[in-house]
Amino acid sequence: MKRSKKAALVLMVPVATLLLAGCGEEREQAMVFTDPSECSAAALNSAAQCEADYVAAQTLHPQVAPKYLNKEECETDFGAGQCETAPQQTTSGGSVFMPMMMGYLAGQMMNRGGSNFQQPAAAGAGAGSNVPTQPLYKSRDDRGTFRTATNKPVAGGIGPITLKPSQVKPQVGQVVRRGGFGQQAATRNSFGG
Amino acid sequence: MKRISVAERANWRAYAEEVGFNFHTFDGEPYWDETAYYQFSLQQIEDDLEAPTEELHQMTMDMVGDITRSEEMLTQLNIPRDFWSYIWNSWNKGEPHLYGRFDLVYDGTGPAKLLELNYDTPTSLFETGFFQWVWLEDQIKNGVLPERADQFNSLHDKIEQAFAQINLPQPFYFTSVRDNIEDRGTVNYLMDMAVQAGVDVRYIALEDIGDLNEQFVDLDNQPIKGLFKLYPWEFMVQEDFARTITAANTQMIEPAWKMLLSNKGILPLLWQRYPDHPNLLPAFFETAASEPLGAGWVRKPLFSREGANVDLITTSGEKISAAGPYADGNYVRQALHALPKYRDEYRNADTYAMLGSWIVGDSAAGICIREDESLITKDTSRFLPHIILD
Repeated sequence: MKRSKKAALVLMVPVATLLLAGCGEEREQAMVFTDPSECSAAALNSAAQCEADYVAAQTLHPQVAPKYLNKEECETDFGAGQCETAPQQTTSGGSVFMPMMMGYLAGQMMNRGGSNFQQPAAAGAGAGSNVPTQPLYKSRDDRGTFRTATNKPVAGGIGPITLKPSQVKPQVGQVVRRGGFGQQAATRNSFGG
Repeated sequence: MKRISVAERANWRAYAEEVGFNFHTFDGEPYWDETAYYQFSLQQIEDDLEAPTEELHQMTMDMVGDITRSEEMLTQLNIPRDFWSYIWNSWNKGEPHLYGRFDLVYDGTGPAKLLELNYDTPTSLFETGFFQWVWLEDQIKNGVLPERADQFNSLHDKIEQAFAQINLPQPFYFTSVRDNIEDRGTVNYLMDMAVQAGVDVRYIALEDIGDLNEQFVDLDNQPIKGLFKLYPWEFMVQEDFARTITAANTQMIEPAWKMLLSNKGILPLLWQRYPDHPNLLPAFFETAASEPLGAGWVRKPLFSREGANVDLITTSGEKISAAGPYADGNYVRQALHALPKYRDEYRNADTYAMLGSWIVGDSAAGICIREDESLITKDTSRFLPHIILD
């Protein structure tokens, strides 16, 4: 026979699409702390890993924190005295403000027994964890809750938590360029052959 | 090889839309056309199409390494110098390829002649691999065609196998131009087969691809480590993200070395390497010194798709041209080998048939037929199914 034994579709028919949409993502263990000493004391990660995660979150902070063109607007959202000047400037040279980092989120590296020390990851999600290390913030009207830069609440206090890593992906919007492909789509309307 | 009129299946349009074949009709004109089919003998398929397709593929692949090392040929093909090393590496690393299609002239007798290669972004894949396959199954079930009728069409099986065998980064992304429903249909079909082969697939519109520190990223800024792109290499290397391509660690399907083969310049290079090969037509690069196009010759841009910007002069001196947006580069000339003419009884008109012959990996994987009222096959040309029956 010169033809396929079967030619079945699983995505292009509506029923199958529903099945796929149900595929779940596992929750993973993570932790929330305000500084690396709390983290070391909790002994969920090594002291070196705690420090590396904290530095990674601090580095990410100015990139991902929400930005405001005046301090009052920032304080309306994050509370009086809770905002700082961002390193960025407007194109006309004006200041930009952002909330202060109130804590950080990191993946949990060690087994519960605490015996499996790992080398510190330089930045980002450490080995064995898919949770992206990142800064956390607190809003003016909900001081108990740690939130990501995209305002997703993750914890009501410090300590271990579980979450789905895809829900806390940091958005480093400022440095991503898009639209670099497809310019010729406007002038030519067929791309296949 | 015969053209045989046949009744359409009663509800094929509704079925087409149900399975995502939304471009079966374009601007009110039929694209999928089952008012007739082509019938081949098994000998025609195996001796005249399948074997020559694999031979042409092998001849073409044998040239890639030489082209990557030849400044002269890279220049003739108009490949940007910034990409020469990238292409050389892509070939020498053995970056895998998925599929391609030869466009052939064949009338049932004598050697099929190669018109051109679509080795970078071939479409009409769903129509071939799925829709014409289902058409045959239906027509056998309906008693219109005999049980022993077959089709040269192992595209679906072979692409699924290829996705299972190629070692792809996961998740693996697929991209096409936003708002182009035909391209999206092709990509959806490829994703469907990839899922069946166990690949973790994601779609991203071409315009949404991001560049984060010289790494391609998706809308969540996650790195795109593997990408099927239904967008021509020759455009990508000219656009704003061209520099990211060489810096990024993204495995592309089709790989960069396919840039050398999706280019009409491969036609004169093949003719130089294999002069008088029975499946090749004489072809040359057009230069400033070339004579005006003569009777019995065709002129094609190096980069063009769907017949755009092709001019030809028939042996009787009639000039036929297809308009298009590709009139901005260099050209090749190819000896005219006219498409065979058939009678379309349904429309009471003459029609010309071109044959597409698919390659998956390195093996021939089936054929598709496109019909047009002119000698130049275009994106609007109708797609007709075929059978094998002795």
